[in-house]
Amino acid sequence: MVATVKGGIKRLTGSLAFSGYWMIAPVVLLVAAFTLYPYAYALWTSFRVASPLLPPAFAGLKNYKAVISSIYFVRAVRNTLIFAACSVPITVILGLLTASLLNRRFFGDIVLKALVLLPWTMPIAVSGVIWRGFFNSGWGAFNALLYMAGLIPKYIGWLTEPKLAMVAVVTAQIWTQFPFATVLILAAMQAIPQELYEAAAIDGAGLLQRFFYITLPGIRAMLAIVVIFETLMGLTTFDLTHALTQGGPGTSTTLISYYTYSESFKMLNFGNGSALAVILAVVSLLMILAIMQFIPKGALIGGEK
Amino acid sequence: MMRGWGIRVVTYLGAVLLAMFILAPLAWVFLSSVLPEASILSFPPDWFQYGFMDANYKYIFTGEIPRGAIATATLRTMISQEVRLVPRTILNSFIVASVVMLINCLIGSLAAYAFARLRFAGKTPVFFFITLSRLIPTVALAIPYYLIVQRSGLIDTYWALIIIYSVLTLPFTLLILTLYFRGIPEEIEEAAQLDGCSPFQTLVRVTIPLALPSLIGTGLFAFMLSYSEFLFGLLITQSIKTRTLPVILAAVSWNPDVTWGLTSASITIGLIPTLLLVVPVWRYMVKGLVAGGVY
Repeated sequence: MVATVKGGIKRLTGSLAFSGYWMIAPVVLLVAAFTLYPYAYALWTSFRVASPLLPPAFAGLKNYKAVISSIYFVRAVRNTLIFAACSVPITVILGLLTASLLNRRFFGDIVLKALVLLPWTMPIAVSGVIWRGFFNSGWGAFNALLYMAGLIPKYIGWLTEPKLAMVAVVTAQIWTQFPFATVLILAAMQAIPQELYEAAAIDGAGLLQRFFYITLPGIRAMLAIVVIFETLMGLTTFDLTHALTQGGPGTSTTLISYYTYSESFKMLNFGNGSALAVILAVVSLLMILAIMQFIPKGALIGGEK
Repeated sequence: MMRGWGIRVVTYLGAVLLAMFILAPLAWVFLSSVLPEASILSFPPDWFQYGFMDANYKYIFTGEIPRGAIATATLRTMISQEVRLVPRTILNSFIVASVVMLINCLIGSLAAYAFARLRFAGKTPVFFFITLSRLIPTVALAIPYYLIVQRSGLIDTYWALIIIYSVLTLPFTLLILTLYFRGIPEEIEEAAQLDGCSPFQTLVRVTIPLALPSLIGTGLFAFMLSYSEFLFGLLITQSIKTRTLPVILAAVSWNPDVTWGLTSASITIGLIPTLLLVVPVWRYMVKGLVAGGVY
């Protein structure tokens, strides 16, 4: 009796699992429902006059024209490019260095591992608040420490000078992002077979040679993933600037995401906001597709197996 | 010999610089939460002239107005009830993030296994569709998401947050778990199937136990992303019933009636769950990632 029931369940689950569709169905349906409809909605809104102040109407490409010709858009794009160009390489390199460091055994390495994870486990909006307190022009710890060390004669307006505010935002961004880069790179490093290093050492390969001929090829796929992820984070940073500078002073740290938010929710111009969102999404998509060429074929799911 | 010493010096120097970079802003937050306002505002800076106090924490938990600040400073002490809501928002965030973690582990692992092992038409395009769906900045989805939630009557409920956070975290869970599952040698599973296990039984009895560390790791990752999410928390939560921690902390920090001391005490309390997560995340996330590569 028990055997037949078990056999029945086995046949049932076996035949259901045969195609694999039922296993992916919950994720696919959930993500698709909350992806296709909102994207379609954003696209539709971008072609319409959508503002509480004006009657709804078809706008064609007017929103796009208005957005692209706006001086604020040009500034936001420039700020975003500067921001990403500074934060992404530094984040990846710092992640690589930190992973190399944590891949070694030394006194206190466990403590350092836990420390490195700290910024990553924290809400980014909260990190923004924390860095705002640290960089504060009037009483922030950074000014106080530099002053006590005798490096500056008077306090510096880290968040009130446009260029310095960008430095502050980039610093905070690196702080929030490099731990995840470290974790991923370190995982890839530790997956490299130890025998390769031993064989290379026997053949007389130095530290740098071992890095360039064994470590780097071994972590290449993971590095590509990290670069994608960090670029995405750099282009779409919202929480951090919202909490740290609110795009200011002036528009000096207004990144494209924050600009999209303020166009939608401060100016209440959903049409323009949606046009911005579509532009940003298309640019991101093109970039991701370009970077994906660097991932070895089949590295993610191994093609049609 | 010299070479070995050089590497050690560089290692420790790097470790110290790294620790300083990570800890500096956090140390400032903790320090500010236990210092009287007059010490924080002093110039030239003398942070320890009036000693330490626990008045900020006392206020958050008991509502007792900080006297230390009044006694030592001529400045008007600024107070807002808002910071007293922080403990409740921690609970809200915790509940939402826990359910999202469960959903990720259940349906995320099923899907990841199918993508890693099974053969079916349209596998690659669907996989890339899901993983790339996270590409569109959340700001772009804010208006449509808000309307969906509003129409289904889920505004200001846990469920709205849980569904949206699941959509936002599942692509990552899927990507990482698929990589893990692919790292587990198929021979182990073939052996199980020779012994009469169905694909589903193989997953439950062989693969999941092998991938358990990775599963916990990605689950905690989903927990963290949900615990930290800001924008949708801001738009969808409208009362203390569901308000999440990042939302209240950002609000407190821009509230002119809240001192930096009170803000930093709120942050310190809000970060306790995060601090508790650091060790398990390291253990399972990293060990899981490594296991995915090795086995």
